[in-house]
Amino acid sequence: MIDMQHVNMVYPNSVGALKDINFSVERGEFVFIVGSSGAGKSTLIRLIGREFLPTSGSIRVFGKEITRLRRREIPLFRRSIGVVFQDFRLLEKRTVYDNVAFAMQVVGASPREIRRRVPEALEMVGLAGKAKRKPDELSGGEQQRVCLARAIINQPSLIIADEPTGNLDPQTSLGIVDLLKTINIRGTTVIMATHAKDIVDRMKQRVVVLENGKIVSDEQKGGYSHHAH
Amino acid sequence: MLIRNIAYFFKEAMRSIVRNGWMSFASVAVVTVTLLILGSFMLLNINVEQITQEIKDQVEIVVYLDEELAGSEVEQLRVAVIQLPQVEEVRYVSKEQALARLQSQLGELVAGYEEEGRNPLRDSFEIRTKIPEDIPAVAQTLQTLPGIARVDYGTDVVEKLFRFTGAVRWVGLAFMGGLAFTALFLIANTIKLTVNARAKEIMIMKWVGATEWFIRWPFVIEGVLLGGIGALLPALALFYLYHEVVAWTKVNLFFLPLVPPQMVLVSITKLLLLIGITIGGLGSLLSMRRFLKV
Ligand SMILES: Nc1ncnc2c1ncn2[C@@H]1O[C@H](COP(=O)(O)OP(=O)(O)OP(=O)(O)O)[C@@H](O)[C@H]1O
Ligand SMILES: [Mg+2]
Repeated sequence: MIDMQHVNMVYPNSVGALKDINFSVERGEFVFIVGSSGAGKSTLIRLIGREFLPTSGSIRVFGKEITRLRRREIPLFRRSIGVVFQDFRLLEKRTVYDNVAFAMQVVGASPREIRRRVPEALEMVGLAGKAKRKPDELSGGEQQRVCLARAIINQPSLIIADEPTGNLDPQTSLGIVDLLKTINIRGTTVIMATHAKDIVDRMKQRVVVLENGKIVSDEQKGGYSHHAH
Repeated sequence: MLIRNIAYFFKEAMRSIVRNGWMSFASVAVVTVTLLILGSFMLLNINVEQITQEIKDQVEIVVYLDEELAGSEVEQLRVAVIQLPQVEEVRYVSKEQALARLQSQLGELVAGYEEEGRNPLRDSFEIRTKIPEDIPAVAQTLQTLPGIARVDYGTDVVEKLFRFTGAVRWVGLAFMGGLAFTALFLIANTIKLTVNARAKEIMIMKWVGATEWFIRWPFVIEGVLLGGIGALLPALALFYLYHEVVAWTKVNLFFLPLVPPQMVLVSITKLLLLIGITIGGLGSLLSMRRFLKV
């Protein structure tokens, strides 16, 4: 599903953020990306979302070389991935329902389809009763659930999440990761960058450890503690 | 493009115009003022053009003939003049006819000159050229012909007039171009602010896979609406004002041949709308460019 070969990333006026990354993910996997601050986790996630191009190397997603996507192909590619951010990025002036519906509107879904699927997604993330609230009337965990509902609403086959629990307390974080796991069990591949040691240890999923832009460890059912800090 | 998308674009554009009420008001005001000046200038230009055309059409060369010229020599000269390629028409005016014309204009003042030998005027040709701009050149040629005493075409006036109307046209064009550019810049800045205010929304749209045009359309429509409203107001104002000006002129300055309102106002309205809409649309496209990267 994802296949990176010899990927290097050097930001302008900066040392290399990623060095010769070779890494692949199969359909249905749940992968944690861990490593100390500045190790290159976000860079890796953003490359998969085609936010920018690597300095060199090949990145294939769903069998397609995304480094060669044309500008107008990028939106179509993005529809097949769901993105979850650390800072939620919800529209404050719109209700929970509208925030989720918005993601369907902009890809041209029919109103009927929207009316059918948005309540389903809110139900799935446990917010069925809060559809009419505005984001600032929700807790952080609930806001991140809205963000998850928005990420899955267009039924992507891949979800990328960069520290989705970075702003949440441990208990709430666990709820979010459980939800991501549920989504994963239903067939969506999940890649999540995180610092949350407890959660990684507890989930027993594949763990990729980055250090100074290199992959230093990649284990199935790994833990956080032996490697990073 | 899907119909429900069009409805969505308009809804978003309207929502943004209302939400940024003051800014929308400011940019409409800017376009209104700009296009009001532009429109007034166009009307002024059209009328200056029309008046100078009228004056040009009336300008002719008068050639006074030597007194001792015989009838056959006059005829020869007339043929020589009419054969000049730029010349349209040559009219012979005898000194008696000239005197009669003068008397009909001035009456008593010139009485008593009819007797033989007392007429102080000369026989003349009144010459019209095919285009007014040829007059100075034709006058020069005529000066060299034998049997001609004096050539008169109001040298200074005509040359100055031609130079003046040429200048008016160019200054006018430059001025109008400058104004249109200013309006474009101001609209672009206004839309840029509304785009800025919605940067987060645009970023989310990009991450969930909205196409660039889907993101652009609401802003383009917003610009077009602002530009269109900004053009409609001065068009209405000019419609009313020009009617008033023409009516007033008819009574008070009846000799000034203003272009009738129905001949210009429709095309000026169309032109202003076109300019307003183009400026609005273009302005928002320009201000969007930076935001669509990623
Ligand atoms: N836009 C940028 N321009 C220049 N350098 C950058 C940019 N983004 C990241 N970097 C650099 O690239 C390296 C990797 O950064 P990255 O954000 O991928 O780390 P990270 O593992 O996500 O860290 P954190 O855990 O703090 O989020 C760092 O040295 C960082 O300074
Ligand atoms: Mg990071």
